[in-house]
Formats: sequence, structure tokens, C-alpha cells
Amino acid sequence: MSAIVSVENVVKEYPLGKLKVRALHGVTVSFGEGEFAAIAAPSGAGKTTLLNLIGCVDVPTSGVVRIEGQATSDLDDAGLTRLRLHKLGFIFQSFNLIAVLDVYQNVEFPLLLQGGMTKKERDHRVREIVEQVGLEKQMRHRPNELSGGQRQRVAIARALVTRPRIVLADEPTANLDSATGQNIIALMKEINRKNRTTFIFSTHDPMVMNQAERVIRMADGRIVGEERRAAEGAA
Amino acid sequence: MERLKILFLMAFRSLGGHKIKGLIVGSLLAFGTFLFVLGTTMLENIERAMEASITRSITGHIQLVSAHAVDRLTFFGPEASAEQDIGVLPDFSRVRDVASKVPGVAAVVPMGRYYGQPILNTELDEAIEALEEAFAQKDPAAIEDRISKVRRMTARLKEDYLRAASLAANPEEHEKARAALDRATSDEFWTSLRENPEEGLQFLAFEIAKLSDDESMLYLPFIGTDLHRYAESFVHFEMVAGELPPPGTRGILISQASYDQFFKNRPARVLDLIHEAKTLDHRTIADDAALQDQVKRLQEMTAQVTMHLSPRAAAELDAKLRERFPEVEGDLDARLAAFFRVDDENFAERYEFFQKEIVPHIPLYRVPIGGTFTLRSMTKSGYPKAVNVRLWGTFRFKSLERSELASAYSLIDLASFRDLLGLMTAEKKRELDAIREEVEVAELEADDVEAALFADAPVIEEGGEEGLDLDARLAALDRPTEEDSETFDPAEIEKGTILHAAVVLEDPSRLREVMASLQEAFDREGLEVKPVPWTEVTGIVGQLVVVMRAVLYVLIGIVFVVALVIINNSMVMATMDRIGEIGTMRAIGARRGFVLALFLLETLVLGLLASALGAAGATALLALLGQTGIHTHQPFLIFLFGGTALHPTIDVANVVWSFAMIVLISVVSTLYPARLAARVAPVVAMQGKE
Repeated sequence: MSAIVSVENVVKEYPLGKLKVRALHGVTVSFGEGEFAAIAAPSGAGKTTLLNLIGCVDVPTSGVVRIEGQATSDLDDAGLTRLRLHKLGFIFQSFNLIAVLDVYQNVEFPLLLQGGMTKKERDHRVREIVEQVGLEKQMRHRPNELSGGQRQRVAIARALVTRPRIVLADEPTANLDSATGQNIIALMKEINRKNRTTFIFSTHDPMVMNQAERVIRMADGRIVGEERRAAEGAA
Repeated sequence: MERLKILFLMAFRSLGGHKIKGLIVGSLLAFGTFLFVLGTTMLENIERAMEASITRSITGHIQLVSAHAVDRLTFFGPEASAEQDIGVLPDFSRVRDVASKVPGVAAVVPMGRYYGQPILNTELDEAIEALEEAFAQKDPAAIEDRISKVRRMTARLKEDYLRAASLAANPEEHEKARAALDRATSDEFWTSLRENPEEGLQFLAFEIAKLSDDESMLYLPFIGTDLHRYAESFVHFEMVAGELPPPGTRGILISQASYDQFFKNRPARVLDLIHEAKTLDHRTIADDAALQDQVKRLQEMTAQVTMHLSPRAAAELDAKLRERFPEVEGDLDARLAAFFRVDDENFAERYEFFQKEIVPHIPLYRVPIGGTFTLRSMTKSGYPKAVNVRLWGTFRFKSLERSELASAYSLIDLASFRDLLGLMTAEKKRELDAIREEVEVAELEADDVEAALFADAPVIEEGGEEGLDLDARLAALDRPTEEDSETFDPAEIEKGTILHAAVVLEDPSRLREVMASLQEAFDREGLEVKPVPWTEVTGIVGQLVVVMRAVLYVLIGIVFVVALVIINNSMVMATMDRIGEIGTMRAIGARRGFVLALFLLETLVLGLLASALGAAGATALLALLGQTGIHTHQPFLIFLFGGTALHPTIDVANVVWSFAMIVLISVVSTLYPARLAARVAPVVAMQGKE
């Protein structure tokens, strides 16, 4: 199986005053199409940095990140933006919905950015995905009228509506109670199975980790271990 | 398209989320737009009205002046003095011929703006004349009545004179005057007058009358012009009384306002002023010190009514006043003084009584229409010069009757005008050329010639008989013969010197174009003439509009700068607040341009909404004002408004301009915060909270 995401010997440094803080010390890892992978690590181990690099919102100090073979460090801001828009979907820890738009509009938003779709096609796509996450009744609600779990469902719908190859989720359940978190992970997994969308998410919740086919463990900016489990896991 | 829709939606919704900020910025922008639309529209309307006021009454659209003018020709304000050196146009007929061929020129009117002093009989003059007439009629009752009046006036004159005596410059002259006044107030003088009226009247007329100083001796600004052409070319001009002098006849037309102000019987005039103040300006005698003062003055003016009354009219009036004031002791003057003690209650009735019962029996104006008076002026080279002018009539400028500015100028024929200024007529120029040739004077400076043209000019120092001969003959040139004191050749008169000329256009909007063509034509013909637009000759009036415009723009500028700073500030804060949201949009795949557009649009939407509101408010107010009109009785405003009411009309261009300004301000004020927002890195979406 060819890698859809490959991270090769990546180093990431951040300036902190006059000092440089090294968040990643030469990480190499790759993900295949349709994987449902968790990056497990305590806070500050570098998992968010790694996700940022894969998510093309940041570029490595050295080493190469490839998305479908394309090295991100070769792209300018516009190129990275295009890559994010068309190939990637994001689910954030704090949902990051656009407060002034309702559920429908939030989900529609990436499609509008992409353009090239008729209103009807768009409407069809939005309704389909909103139904899939079970929010058809809340279609016209604004984010502040929804519960945390509902908001994360909207975020998932928004991440998936463009049918991205890869969905990145940074601690998607951290702000949810455990039952809701379980539901969200189950939903992600269902979509992963159905659409063969690659999911890479970070977590430090063992319950969530248990759902992953593959768990990559990190500590101090390095990969320290990896486990693979049966696809049907603990579902 | 759809993307634009979501941008608008987000912009609207973001505004809804920040109501207070939106309200503050919005009301500022709305106020700015309101001010802009209202202000510029009003200014334009005033400018248009003023343009019509001025160009249709006095200046025309373009003034032609000598290219050698040192000072700027100015019609209004303190700069408009007789000392202005604006040069001369040596031959009007040539200027007229060249200018009137230029396309777009409707009329060319010769002009000369100048000042003269009307020499009018004083009250005392008139009283002495009345006494003379009473003696001539041999009417003993009238003689006694007039004597008592002249005596009273002489006594008052003596008082005034002694009071002012300390200021007298020449003690010898002063002694002589004092002696004369002593004599005129003595009983012996009046006894002898009854016996030998001729000697006594002469003494009064020559020694006493000259001591009386009339306050109303004021300067009369006038414009020397071709009266017929003026009347035809200036559409605001209309005759009030009398008629235009026949072509080729000397004469003066006085504006009705000046006629009332300087020539009207003074008690009648004061009553008019009180009447106007009460009816037009709604002032009351009880609350207005100036009006109270006028009522007081009025009571001292009884002689100016009674001395004009025939004995019969006096007796009739006395009987009527006796009925009204049975308690008042003394003569008719005392009863009239009681009558003149007006207040808010009785004024209207007494004013009517005065018009009905008194006005028909007195000469209402010091010079009647058709009468002649002497106008004295200084020539351009500084010699006093006087001409007798016949008052043919009075005129006004339509809808500007109450404007002092518009009615300041009187109009005088060109021949009299040239005499007053010592300018050369074509005929005199020819005669002078002949003399010049004869005595072989190679170069006579224009000033010298002009000076020499006066009988009362000092003799030019020149040795030899020939020189004296020249002086005498030059002087003789100015002594008008019987014919040319009344008439002149209208064609001939155009060939002489004038000071400037007015050009009236067919279409005022082509002003610049016609000015250029005029300049070109003058240059081609070798005439040293410069066209000046009306805006540059209006002096203080034109400047006023410039100042009003400047004040308005500064005010609008301040409002917009404040709006700019506030918008900029609040948008920077909004950017900080929304960093998470911006980062999220960027992470999801929004380009920098999208974020930039979103922020710009937010202010733009606010700006357009606010300015639509402001413009709508201003337009509504203007429409209302256009219906009702802005009314004024203030003379200067009447001039600005071109009448007693201004009905502003709305120019769509101003509304469009205000929108353009708001767009500009919105963009400029948001440029920095929007760029700041566009630079927010998508990675921030991953950090912290929304």
C-alpha cells in the first residue's frame, strides 16, 4: 500500500525569544490510504506539531512532508492553502465553527471556497453529510445553540463535505464527555470504513486509542513506539 | 458569486454581533454623510442663487478689464473703494466689437464702478426756501409759521455748533460763524427780517445754511453705463418709478433702496423702518433698544413734516391731532411729537394715519423723480468735480429688493460718468488732439491732460503766452455748453474711455470656454483686455462662499478622520478577537484574499448602510426645504439666496460623491486591520480556543 502521507526525518524548531525550541527531532512516519491512526502522547510531546505539518498549516524546519507525493516545503502559501482545501479535512479540539454561520452554512463553507459546484450539487452534498452526522434537525441552528457533541459533529461534517483524502483531528474528544467522545470516534470510524478516508488523530485518551487500528506513540518529539490492532478493534 | 454571497452574509452577521461598535461607527458615518450631502447641496444652491443674483443684476458673467490693471476689480466689500487702480479701456467701441463677435456672448455692457456724493438741500435749506416762498406769497400766517420753524432750527443749530466748537480747526472762521449764529438767534434779526425780508433771507441762505451739517450726506456708489443696454442685458433689472432716460440723454437711475435710504423724508423713512422691523423681522418696540431709539429720534423730526405743510393742510392736521391729544399744550409740532410717540399697540394704526393723512401733503423725497441734483466726485487724478444729474427714475433687482448689497449701486449715463471721473470722451480726445497739434505738444501725459481738463484745476505752470493759451482752451473744453449738458450722441459716446465692461453670456455654464475665446480674440486684435470671471470680482461675497466651503470641508474632514481612527481601532480589536476564527477559515482553505475581502466588506457594508441612512436623511430634509423654502429677511442672506426664500434642489452627484467618500474611508480605515487579519497563520486554529 503506497503512503498517502509520508513524513521523512522531519525536524521542527520554534523560536522562543532568542532560543530555538526543537519540537520534533527527526520524525519519520507514513500513513497509507484508508488508515485510521491515532497519535498518542502526553501533552508537549509534539503530536500537535506533527499534525500541523501533515495538515500543511506549517512547514518543517528540515526533512520532508509529502501529501500524495507532493513535498509541502515546495509550496507557497497559496499552494498550501489549495492543498488544505482540496485534500485535507480538519477537526479541531475546540470545534472552531464559524459563529455567525448556521450548521448548514458552516458545512457548506469549504464547498463555497472550492467553488465549481452548482447550488443544487452543493445542497445535495451538504444535506447528505449533515444527515450522516445526525444533525438534519439542527440544520438552521447557530453553533451557540448546539451542545459540544453536536458542534463536533458539525466540525466532522465540515471536514468531510469536500470528500478529502485525509482527515486530521487534533484531540477531537478532549472537550467532550466520554460517552459523547465515544460516539464521535464511532462516527469517524464509520466514515473511514465507508469512504476509505484516511483519519489521523491525536489523543491521550486510552478509550479513544482503543478504537484506532494503529497507534503511534510519541515522547519528547520522537516516535517511541507503534502498535497495530485488528481493524474491528473494540467496536 | 456564491462566495460573495457568503462574504456578505458573514459581514452582515459579524456586524450584528458587534452592535455597539457598529452603532457608534455607523452613526458617525451617517452623520458625516448627512453633513456632506446637506452641506454641499446647500452650498451649491447658494452658489447658484448667488451667481444668478450677481450675474443677472450687476457683474454679468465676465468682466473685461485692462490687462494693465494694478488692483483687482471688486464690486463688494471693503476692497471695493474708489482708490482701486484697475486701469482703463481706452475705446469701448472696439472692445465691444471684438467681444460681441465671440460665440456665446449675449451682450457687452460698458461700465465704471465709482462713488459720488449727492449734494442735497439740508432741512434748514428747505425751511429757508419755504420761508422765502411764504414771503413771495405774502401769506402772513405762513410767514409766522415758517419763521418760528427756522428760528427753532437755528437755535438748535447754534447749540450743536457750540457743542462741537472745541473741535473747530480754524478759530477765525469759528468766530465768524459764532457771530452769525448770535445774530440769527437774536430777536432784532427776526424783527428786521419781517421788515426787510430780502437782506435777512440772503443772510440766512449764505451765512447760516452752510453751517448746518446733514447726516445723510453719504457716498452713493454708482456704475456709469449705457442705461438702455444695461436695462436690456440684466434680466433682474426692473424700473420701480419713472422711466429710462431717452437714448442720448444724461441722467441717473437710483436703486429704490438707496432712494429710500438717502432721499426719503426722514420721519417717513424712520416710520418705514419701524414698520419693516415689526412686520418682517417681528421685532417689538418694547423689547428692542434700537427701535426705541428710533422712536425717540422720530419725535425730534416733527419740523420735517410741519415745515412742508401748506397752512391749510397744517390746520386740518392740527384739528385731527387735537382730537387725539386734547391734553397736549402747544402748537402742531408738540401734537405731532405726541403722535410720533408710537408703541407696539398703536403703531400700525398711526402708520396708516401717517400714510393717509400726512404723506400726501409733504414732498416724500428730497429730490422728486424728474428732479435734478448735484453729484460731486473726485476725478481719477484727484480733483473735485460736480455734475448736475436728472433723476429719471428708480429701479430694483427682482427679488433682491431688500438686499443692501444688490441695491447699493445706482446707474448713471456714460457722459456724466466720464465728466465725474475726468475721462475723455471721443469728442474731447479729438479736440485735444487738434490743440496738441497746434501747439506742438509732443507728449502730454494722460494725467496732465485730464488735470488740465477742469475749469477749477490748478493752472499748469508753463511760461509764455502759448502755454497760458493752452490752459485756457483746455479748461474751456470742460465747460459744458447748453446742449451737451442734457444730451449726447449715443454712438459717439461708445468710442470713449471706460473702466471696465460686463459680458453677459447666453449659457452661463460655458463661462470658461467663452473666457478663453475672448482672450484669444483680444490678443488677436491687439487689445490689452483681460476677461475676469464674476467669481473674482465679487470680493467679500465670493470669498464668503469659499470660506463656507472650507469650513464645511474641515468639519466633514474632522468627522471622517474621527470615523477613520475609530473604525481602524475597532477593526484591529476585532481582528485580535477573531484570530481563532480567521485561523480556522485559513486552515480549512480560505485564501488570504478571502479574509481581506471579508474584513473590507464588513466595514463597507456598515459604511454603505450608514451613509444610505445619512444621505436619505439629508435628502428628505432637502426635499422638505425645497418644498417649504428657507425664508429670510436678513439682507445679506437675501443676496446669497437670490431672494427672500431659497428652495434647494438636490443634486444626485452629491449623493454619489458621498457614497464614493464612504467607500474610500471604509477601505482606507480597514486596510491595516484587514491586512493584519490576512496575515493570521492557519496554525493558530490548532491552538487554544475559538
